[in-house]
Amino acid sequence: MAKILMIHPDKCASCRNCELACSFAHEGVFNPNKSRVHALVWERLGLGVPLMCMHCDDAPCAGVCPTGALHRDEEANGVLWDKNKCIGCKLCVSACPFGNASYDNETKQVIKCDLCGGDPQCVRICPNQAIEYKEANEGVMAKKAMYAEKFKKVFEEVE
Amino acid sequence: MEIIIDGKKAAVQEGETILQAARRNGIDIPTLCYSDALPGITSCRICMVEVKENGVTKRVASCAYPVHEGMEVTTDNETIRRTRNVLLNLYSARVPHNKDIKALKEKYDVPEIKRLQVNKGETHLAENCVLCGLCVKACEEMGTNAISTVFRGAEKKVGTPFDEPSDSCIGCGACASVCPTEAIQMTQENGVRTIWDKTFELIQCKECGKYFATAQEIAYVKQKIGNDMDMALCEKCKQKGNAAKFKEALKAELDI
Repeated sequence: MAKILMIHPDKCASCRNCELACSFAHEGVFNPNKSRVHALVWERLGLGVPLMCMHCDDAPCAGVCPTGALHRDEEANGVLWDKNKCIGCKLCVSACPFGNASYDNETKQVIKCDLCGGDPQCVRICPNQAIEYKEANEGVMAKKAMYAEKFKKVFEEVE
Repeated sequence: MEIIIDGKKAAVQEGETILQAARRNGIDIPTLCYSDALPGITSCRICMVEVKENGVTKRVASCAYPVHEGMEVTTDNETIRRTRNVLLNLYSARVPHNKDIKALKEKYDVPEIKRLQVNKGETHLAENCVLCGLCVKACEEMGTNAISTVFRGAEKKVGTPFDEPSDSCIGCGACASVCPTEAIQMTQENGVRTIWDKTFELIQCKECGKYFATAQEIAYVKQKIGNDMDMALCEKCKQKGNAAKFKEALKAELDI
């Protein structure tokens, strides 16, 4: 069964090890700027929010991509980027409503979560399971929907 | 399906080109105008290989020639080397100072052919374009069609209509990004991006002040994905904003 990434901001300990694991796995360096996941931290409140590509079903980045370099991959159950098909227009970066894609001018690549080919390193390193990679079965989806509903309510209150 | 590349059997897929099959099997064939995103230009001819099928031997551009059952491909022999040497010498005569052509010549041990030499001190000092047309194809793929090859013969070049700043250029820089010889200059300084003689005042992020995109790029994105979302923030601030919403939600939930 297809797996999905789930984040639990309430469990994040703000250690930001996920950023280091991610940049090391992809670029061979420990550089949070080159990480596909970002943990945004509020130290005084003791809160951290890990964010990465949501792998949208109807992804705007894939919608705007002129060559299909960004595409939905059913097998991986995610939105993947094909380096060979990218022509570097960088419009995916503008199209993502969540700011979860960026472009590295140095290496000419789109920096965006690729699920590490099915073994996300951020999930491996996270000491608190604040990021999980789980089978998208009924229970998990129900839990996800519950979270989404809860956050949606508060989001509306905030706005 | 199986073919023979350089004497070795290689498994290939129906419909792919010799170049794709060779690269997948770890065999190197040089290219200039080829990109997986924009196949079928076949102008640079650097990827020529020798093909033997049905008793006929011929030279073909591997980036466009499809594989057929039982064909024999040779990527490196005297004929291929001679073809490549002449081509690279011709490119070198056009763009004598280009580092990408120099690197290719070095990599494939290309000797200088005397009759194809130019006076490097005087001619084509600033020229870097080999007229492969990859940039034109990239712009076409974007749907903007701002550039094209203009004039014929020795005058041929890539340009905008009448060499004026083009109305349709959105300043994305895909042309510069795909160019194999770095011939297209895109500069960005103090919130102004310049490409093809057109200057773009970049939009500044509402939060952090970073210059992040041209107005035309934003319009292109909005039109293509058909929604009207707020695009006044750079990607970092968009992400920060989202995280802040989560934070507020958590704060409310945990009552802190």
